[in-house]
Amino acid sequence: MGAQVSTQQRSSDHGEVLSVHSLDKWNTQFQNSKTSNKLMVIDFSAAWCGPCKFIEPAVHDLAVEFTDVDFIKIDIDELPDVAKDFDVQAMPTFVLLKKGKERDRIVGVKKDELHRLIEKHRF
Amino acid sequence: MAVSGFEGFEKRLELQFSSHDPVLGIGLRELDFKSLEQVLHQVQCTVVSALGNQHFDSYVLSESSLFVYPTKIIIKTCGTTQLLKSVRPFINHARTLNLHLIALRYTRGTFIFPEAQPYPHTSFHEEVVYLEDNIPDDLCYRKASVIPSKLTSHSWHVFSAGVVEYPDDVPYTVEVCMTDLDQTLARKFFRHPNDGMNGDSAGRAMTELTGINRINPNAQICDFAFDPCGYSMNGIDGDCYSTIHVTPEDGFSYASFECVGSAYNDMADMVKKAVKVFGPGTVSVATTNAGEDMCMRIKGAVEQVGLKCRSCGIDEVPAAGKVVFQTFTSRRKRI
Repeated sequence: MGAQVSTQQRSSDHGEVLSVHSLDKWNTQFQNSKTSNKLMVIDFSAAWCGPCKFIEPAVHDLAVEFTDVDFIKIDIDELPDVAKDFDVQAMPTFVLLKKGKERDRIVGVKKDELHRLIEKHRF
Repeated sequence: MAVSGFEGFEKRLELQFSSHDPVLGIGLRELDFKSLEQVLHQVQCTVVSALGNQHFDSYVLSESSLFVYPTKIIIKTCGTTQLLKSVRPFINHARTLNLHLIALRYTRGTFIFPEAQPYPHTSFHEEVVYLEDNIPDDLCYRKASVIPSKLTSHSWHVFSAGVVEYPDDVPYTVEVCMTDLDQTLARKFFRHPNDGMNGDSAGRAMTELTGINRINPNAQICDFAFDPCGYSMNGIDGDCYSTIHVTPEDGFSYASFECVGSAYNDMADMVKKAVKVFGPGTVSVATTNAGEDMCMRIKGAVEQVGLKCRSCGIDEVPAAGKVVFQTFTSRRKRI
């Protein structure tokens, strides 16, 4: 595990979910993803969506468990264009990105499946 | 028929609310998850999966489904759940959001194992008494109705109550109950031991393998496969939901398909596709507030897949409109 730790400081290294509120911030994150080997999990959610609130604790647990994975949270009302780019039609939608390319996605609250796909794509 | 087994036939409850506030916001979707879980606990079921969109939230439960719109709750549970015990708690939680109940509708088919049902579901009479005691007085237009068919195993029970006898804007709903499923088709809803999947991925596999995803290709689907067998899914398409639940075991096999109608979906075609997935020996279709034309089209569609209409009963209930109950059995059967 020690060999995997990057010397670059990213807040998600501390096992947190990074909420991205601006297009600039998102573009930075997206560029970072393109130039790294790290898996990025984007959680598309909305403040008014019950299922999103339901899975929130589980996503935090996953961020703590997988510190070598970047967890990004995007509110579809704040960044509707990004949601549209990723064709988000229902929530929560989890998109797994590697090197800026979508590897997999999960639509809905599927904790076991999210865990399985993160394990599958992280390396 | 088995002596006892899992009860697939669901109890369905629909609660319509209205707001005192000039600005509604997200209404019932504001209810925090702890409150919802509390109510589900009283009904003895838990959340297994969930999915939402701009219009409503959907939850797949351990014993069926829950849909939460800003001013409407629909909960459908099978097995031996005490569904009616959710009425009081839902009314109370809604009140904290300044929402009051204006209509309630309870529907179900006929239980395969009625003796296994707990209070207040031991009989329709008991259910009606319980409902009458637990709904506000201002829902003064009330009616309980049992629509028979030529089969004692298939009747349709409805209790409807409202503050207005003939409300506008009641969407039409179709509830399809299927029994005596084709065993080759039902086998697709059994998990394989050591399949290396979880309930989510196995559910997705069943959705695709059986063609359930083609019933409404526009819908986003939230599915789940139970261990060792059984399947549930909710589909969301704009402000319309659809839901399928399967009990595949031989002897008490059962599948249900329910959908809200809209100008954008071809209901008759969806019902036909759903029936084809299961190849049932007996089908009942109950529509609420659908026009005569729609009922005829659904009848025509079901008759295209090896079944013949054996009965058609109609009744009118307050706050919901016309209820049409049709039953079909396979053409090879004789009643």
